[in-house]
Amino acid sequence: MDFYLTALLQGLCFSAIALGIYISMKIFNIPDITTDGSYTLGGVVTAVLLTNHQPAYVILPAVILAGATAGALTGIIHTKLKINALLAGILVMTALYSVNLTILGRSNLPLINLPSLFTIVNVVGDPNQNTFWILAIFVIVITVLIGYLLKTDFGIAMRATGNSESMIRSLGVNTDRMKITGLALANALTALSGYLVAQFQGFADISMGIGIVIVGLGSVIIAETLINWFKLTSVWLSLVLVLAGAVIFQLVLAFTLSVGVDPKLLKIVTAGFVLVIVSLPRLSLLRSS
Amino acid sequence: MKFIKYLPVAILLVFFVSCKPKTKSMQVPVVGFVDAFEDATISQARKGFTDALNKNGFSEEKKTVQIEYSNAQGDIPTLTQIVNHFVTDSVNLLATCTTLSTVTALQKTKHIPVFAMVSPTAERMKVVDASGKAPTNLFGAVEELNYIDTSFSIIPKLLKPKGPKLVIGMIYNQSEPQSADALNRIKSLAAGLNVDIVALPLNTSADAQLVTQSLLGKNIDAFFANPDNTVFASFETILKNCNQKNVPIFTSEAGLVQRGAVAAFGADIYQWGYQAGEQAAQFLKTHKTDGLQPEMVKIRKRVYNPAAAKKYNITIPPNFEPVK
Repeated sequence: MDFYLTALLQGLCFSAIALGIYISMKIFNIPDITTDGSYTLGGVVTAVLLTNHQPAYVILPAVILAGATAGALTGIIHTKLKINALLAGILVMTALYSVNLTILGRSNLPLINLPSLFTIVNVVGDPNQNTFWILAIFVIVITVLIGYLLKTDFGIAMRATGNSESMIRSLGVNTDRMKITGLALANALTALSGYLVAQFQGFADISMGIGIVIVGLGSVIIAETLINWFKLTSVWLSLVLVLAGAVIFQLVLAFTLSVGVDPKLLKIVTAGFVLVIVSLPRLSLLRSS
Repeated sequence: MKFIKYLPVAILLVFFVSCKPKTKSMQVPVVGFVDAFEDATISQARKGFTDALNKNGFSEEKKTVQIEYSNAQGDIPTLTQIVNHFVTDSVNLLATCTTLSTVTALQKTKHIPVFAMVSPTAERMKVVDASGKAPTNLFGAVEELNYIDTSFSIIPKLLKPKGPKLVIGMIYNQSEPQSADALNRIKSLAAGLNVDIVALPLNTSADAQLVTQSLLGKNIDAFFANPDNTVFASFETILKNCNQKNVPIFTSEAGLVQRGAVAAFGADIYQWGYQAGEQAAQFLKTHKTDGLQPEMVKIRKRVYNPAAAKKYNITIPPNFEPVK
C-alpha cells in the first residue's frame, strides 16, 4: 500500500501542473508548450534557493514569480507580436533551457540532507504520510484560490475570453491582457509543480521537464471525460476532477509497474489503461443507446 | 463502431500477455535493477552485472536470485515511481545504472544498499553531506575524471597538426553533469598540451548532423567524442560526417571504438557493470556491507580499431590491443 501512497503523492505534486494546463487549454483554448520549460524553471529555482539555505517564505514567491514571468512572456509574444500560440510557447520553452542551465549551474542538483517543504512540520511520524498531509493542505489551498478566482468577475471574463473572444472584446474587456494574465497564472501553477516535485524526488534536473506537458494534458483530458460524463457545470467539481485526473494518471503508472510489466511494454500498457479509463463512459453510452 | 466493443478485451489481452509471473518468495534475494533510459552501449552494464552475479552463484535460471528489471525510458516521473516501487517492496539491494538512477535511489532510501554503475563519484554527483561524506548506503563502481587525461593526451602523440597548432573538436551534453565536467577538464588539459579546443553543445541526438558539420567547418584535426548519452545515440551520424572530411575520432570508451573511433583509453561499460555485480554478489553472500565501499572502476582498456587506424595512417603504440 505504501507504494500506492507514494504514487498518490506524486500525483498530488502534479496536480498544480494539471490546473495550469486546465487554465491554458480548457479556458483559453491555447495549447501552451511553455509548460516544459516553466516546470523545470520551478524545480531549478527551488533547488538553487534550497542549497543556498533560503527560508520557505522566500522560495515559494520566487518560484511563482519565475513561472508567471515565463508565462507572461509567452502571452506577450502571442498577443502583441501576433505569433501563433504554439510557436510562442515553443520559443519560450527553448529559451528557458539556457536560462535553467544558467541558474542551476550544472545539469543535476541533488537536494540531499536539506530541509524541504515536507520536513517543515511533522504532523505524523511516517515521512510519507507527513508528506501527504502537507501536500494535501498545499493542493487544497491552491485549488480554493484558483476556484475563487474563476468565480470572480475577472475569472468570469477570463473564462468568457476562451469561449468567445469577439463577444467579450465587444463588451470592452482587454482580451490581450486577459490572455497574458491567464498564461502567467497557468505557468505559475506549472512552476509550483516543479517546486513540489523537485522536493519530492530530491533533485532538480535540467531534463525533468521533457514531455511533462503530456502528464498535464493527460490529467486534464481524464478530467474532461469525467466532466462530460457527469454533465458537470460547477467550477469547483471541475477543478477537483482535474486534481483527480493527475492522481489517476500516476496511479495507473504505479499499477502498471506493480503488476510487473515487461519494461519494453511499460508505456504502451500505461497508454492502454488510460485509454480504457477515458473510453469507459463512451462504451457504456454505446451500450445504453 | 463495432470494434470498440472489443477494445477492453484486446487491452486486457495485451495486459495479460505482457505480465511477468511474479513469484514473491522469501528465500530468494531480490535485486531491483533501475535503468534510466534505453541505450545499446549502456545496456552492456546490465549484462556485466548479471554475469557477475551468475559467476558467484546467483542466477535467475537456478532460482537463486530474482532480478526485477525496470527501465524509465528517459522519463523522470517514471524513474521516481520505479525507485519508490522497489523501496516499498523492500528489495535486498538496488542496482542503478547511470547517474540519474543513482541519484534518485540515494534520495529515496537511506537503508537499502545501492550498487551504482556508469556513475561518477559521490562528490561529482553532489550527494555528499556537509562534512563531505558519501551516503552510507552507496556502493558499486564509480568513475573520476582522471581517465580523460590519458585518453585525451594520446591524441597529440598520434597526430601531426595541419596548421601551427593541433585543433580538436568536441561535443558535449549540457544535460549531463559528467559531460560538462569532462569538457572543463579537457579545456584545462589542452592548455598544457598546446592544443586548441573547439567545443559545441549537443543536447539532443536530432541536432547531431548540424553540430558535427559546424565543427568540421572549423578546420579541426581530430574529433574527441566524449562518451555521453547523446554521443552514444548519434555516434553513427558523427562517424559518417567525420569520415567524409577525413577527420579521425578519438574517445574514452571501448564500445565507441568498436563502432568506428580510432582509439580509446577508458572504462569498458560491460566491465563496469561486472565490477558492481561482484560487489553486489559479496553483499548477497554475507548479507553485510562491511568492507564494501564505492570503488573506482578497475578495468580500463587501451583499445584501437585496426580499420580506422589504417584509413588514417595512424601508428598505434604497441600497448593498445585491437578491438574485438
